[in-house]
Amino acid sequence: MRNHRQSEPDRLRRDARIAGLRDFQTPSLEAVEQRRRQLWQRTATALALIAAVVVSFAIIPSARLTGSGAGRILFVIVGVGGGLFLWAFHKETALERLTRSLTDERVLTAALTNRLHEVSLLLDAGKQMNAHLQMDELLDTILRSACELLDATGGSVMLVEETDLVTVCALGRDAAVGQRMRLGEGVGGYVAIRREPVLIDGHADPDLFPGLVLREPYVESAMSVPLVHRAELQGVLNVNAPIGRSFTEYDLRALAVFAEQAALAVANARLYEAERAHVAALLDLRKRREVG
Amino acid sequence: MVALHKPRVLIAEDDPDTLVILRINLTAVGIEPMLASDGRTALERIETESPDALLLDVLLPGIDGWQVLEQLHAKGDPVPVIVCSGKDNILDLQRARDLGAVAYLVKPFDIDRLIEVTSEVVGLRQTDPAIDRRTAADADGVELA
Repeated sequence: MRNHRQSEPDRLRRDARIAGLRDFQTPSLEAVEQRRRQLWQRTATALALIAAVVVSFAIIPSARLTGSGAGRILFVIVGVGGGLFLWAFHKETALERLTRSLTDERVLTAALTNRLHEVSLLLDAGKQMNAHLQMDELLDTILRSACELLDATGGSVMLVEETDLVTVCALGRDAAVGQRMRLGEGVGGYVAIRREPVLIDGHADPDLFPGLVLREPYVESAMSVPLVHRAELQGVLNVNAPIGRSFTEYDLRALAVFAEQAALAVANARLYEAERAHVAALLDLRKRREVG
Repeated sequence: MVALHKPRVLIAEDDPDTLVILRINLTAVGIEPMLASDGRTALERIETESPDALLLDVLLPGIDGWQVLEQLHAKGDPVPVIVCSGKDNILDLQRARDLGAVAYLVKPFDIDRLIEVTSEVVGLRQTDPAIDRRTAADADGVELA
């Protein structure tokens, strides 16, 4: 690696200087395009002028030169034209490099903006989830936030109960609530056992998902992710894509990140439920003692 | 043969940190990197700037890496594609191969290995314009030949 390698801003400044963008302060593709148009307009005008001079030497009798002087003048004129073209080409090369560099910078900015947007959405979703300790409210928030995050039309949350997965909350298909399946059965069971997110495009493969119950209505694209907190499986989160849209691996990763926060919130809500039950039991015990 | 210009490699990757790291490392070995943070931009830059190779992350917003690969394959675009994915299962490797990718790198990848593969692919393209006809298959969950 060369130590004296120019940094990206230095390279941009150098190319901008070569290209004639002297007041180059803020990178702008528009300024580069404007400079390109200007450069080629001026070059074309200058070349047209040179051509006009050459032609006038040839056709206007009073301007016609003879002998070796004419040859020299024509040589100089053609040389100036060639030099002008090379100068323009040199500038164009710098402009091309600038265009690529500025496009790259825009791409980087877009990537950072997207990442910030994602983080912001996840943060908001996390805040909303952590605002609830009541399980019913929390599950509803999880499902709605997940659908909002991924533009999904519906989905469900399944929680682990001993060796079963129970659908405790659903959006778009209320009949699913209360359905129970064994761990390892269907898509949810597969995700729960393997603890890995699954993206399904089209019909799910019954060979891959034993015990699969085909969904009605048919869902074109769906995702299932495990809800795991501190290595403990809490449940499975499922979301369905609207008609005509397919989820991608990118969406699956976003849902998996979301599921980490959702799992934490579910674990907290379960802990809260357990604590409330414990306090209720203690209060009940004290009341009995007082009565006794 | 001395190349008239540095080989240009388009990096299609949504993670800004990875984009910057790859840009620095590829520049250091004499490759001119171009960047795209989503599938649409990647396809546009391939169309307009004809890079010598494409380093394609599968996870891209909007049009994802697989869709980009499918579109390039359908168009018969000769740009050699190195697929980068977090999955090392045989199904994905097979899919990449079927869609004409020339290499498959499993994330998190070793940067030296990535540079080695990228340099090789770029070099291969200079001598073998029919690189898109190559088939996937070898090295550490990664290469194709």
